[in-house]
Amino acid sequence: MRSYLPVVCVWCAASFAGVAAPALRAQEATSQSELIRALLERIDKLERRVSELESQAAPQPRAALPAPAPEPPREVVETIPASVLQIAGHQEHITAPGLRMSGFTDFNFSATDRQGDISGFNEGQFILHFTSPLTQKVTVFGEVSMTARRNAVTGASEFPVEVERAIVRFDQNDRLKISFGRYHTPINYWNTAFHHGLWLQTTTARPRMTQFGGVFIPNHFVGSLIEGALPAAGLNLNYNVGLGNGRGSLVGQAGDFGDNNNFRASLVNLFVKPDRFFGLRVGASAYRDKITLLGGREFREWITSGNIVWTKESPEFIAEFANVNHKPVDGGLSTNSQAWYVQAAYRLPGAANLWKPYYRYEHMRIPLADIPFQNFPPISGSVLGMRYDISQFVALKLEYRNQRTPGQPRMNGAFVQSSFTF
Amino acid sequence: MLALALLLPAVRPAEARSGDVAVVVRADVPAENLSLADIRKLFMGDRQFWNSNQRVTLLVRAPVAAEREVVLKVIYQMSEAQFRQYWISKVFRAEAASGPKIVHSNQMALDLVGAIPGSITFADSSSVPKNLKVVKINGLLPGEKGYPLR
Repeated sequence: MRSYLPVVCVWCAASFAGVAAPALRAQEATSQSELIRALLERIDKLERRVSELESQAAPQPRAALPAPAPEPPREVVETIPASVLQIAGHQEHITAPGLRMSGFTDFNFSATDRQGDISGFNEGQFILHFTSPLTQKVTVFGEVSMTARRNAVTGASEFPVEVERAIVRFDQNDRLKISFGRYHTPINYWNTAFHHGLWLQTTTARPRMTQFGGVFIPNHFVGSLIEGALPAAGLNLNYNVGLGNGRGSLVGQAGDFGDNNNFRASLVNLFVKPDRFFGLRVGASAYRDKITLLGGREFREWITSGNIVWTKESPEFIAEFANVNHKPVDGGLSTNSQAWYVQAAYRLPGAANLWKPYYRYEHMRIPLADIPFQNFPPISGSVLGMRYDISQFVALKLEYRNQRTPGQPRMNGAFVQSSFTF
Repeated sequence: MLALALLLPAVRPAEARSGDVAVVVRADVPAENLSLADIRKLFMGDRQFWNSNQRVTLLVRAPVAAEREVVLKVIYQMSEAQFRQYWISKVFRAEAASGPKIVHSNQMALDLVGAIPGSITFADSSSVPKNLKVVKINGLLPGEKGYPLR
């Protein structure tokens, strides 16, 4: 690792040198903002003056004013941009669904002292996100990933494409929304808050308990969800109730082309966002499934989890806990595996507000007798880092990790990530 | 737009206090008096329906407008960057089909509120015409003591 640290330092210095120019232009940007503000105020004044003059030119008695129509006149609707009509639910004037697309990706550098690790650069997932409101009440969402991988057989690099999420949802109102599709399983906070958008999350990587490619929390769920939000006397109770295919024979994979047994997975997720504490979110979930492993052995699975999140950035706080209970169907020892993490971050005030230091401690315990998780080594340890927002849509993260896996030496690593949305 | 502008009557004298930001809806929107928490739910996209037949359409002033700064500070409690990240995240989570529609002047905001069913915006309280409804916040209108959006 030591041999790579100078490379990391040089690369970081170069990166910061590259971003120093925008900081030097801050004064110019401020004066531009003042100019724009002055122009906007001027426009508002002129608009008011035009309205006054027009009302003087064509005075109308107030009683004669037309009452607002329930729907806008057709000629008015046609002057409104299509995007406005689309969100307003006037798709009858549009010939095709309005598809919107956005993307996320990241590039990384890593260097660790773990034997066998190869340090260097790697490309993160290339994510495309699609949204298409079909009518005022029906919307389609999609998320596709392209992930750089080495082919296990040939050793060649490849970019397999995977549909991460594909959802069609009918919104009756805020209290009742029904959807079908492939989801990120809504049984913990991180999995549904950040999805594959690494730019959205503070740290360079997910906690181990909800890691993509991991097994602890089933990341994907194929089926149907009923969800909504109820005022609940200011608590704002949100719910998700789901029924779908559970884990596949490889427990880290979802049952995309059908369940591998006749037992559907079910889940309930509840969380509150109290009016009184704007920014606070507290939730709990339960997930039930039957797992059929490749050898045919079957286990009942119960996952219970809880989370508490302060969604603001000064400070930001996320804590989650999950317990996974596996009970062999044919009798035998029931096991409980646990994982939890606590993450805190703080966006610095004033001129330093582009900087956000963070820390996370995570712990995972998996008993040796937990057969479905026997090939998933638990990792515990600390993550300490700094996020620097180069622009409103690009972040640079520097991270140090100190982690251990039972039976192996402690690992120290340095990670650099540039993540962005586009 | 011009035809619509010709129909606009004089502004409301009672609320004609420049500096206060009024929350404005179409006259047919079923909202007269909302708490600040209710207003926050609307502008954060946590409440997306007035009722089962009417979806909320958010119209938000473009950056640098004084009204936007008041709303970011009081309602969202976010910086400009946090506001953008919030809406990118909201759409990415499939919690909303789109972010707010950006409008570039008070008059454009008021014109569109008058034209789009279920729309809501905020504007300088001195420029709101009589045919639109100013929503009370915690029982207060713009210009009254204790009004939060100023």
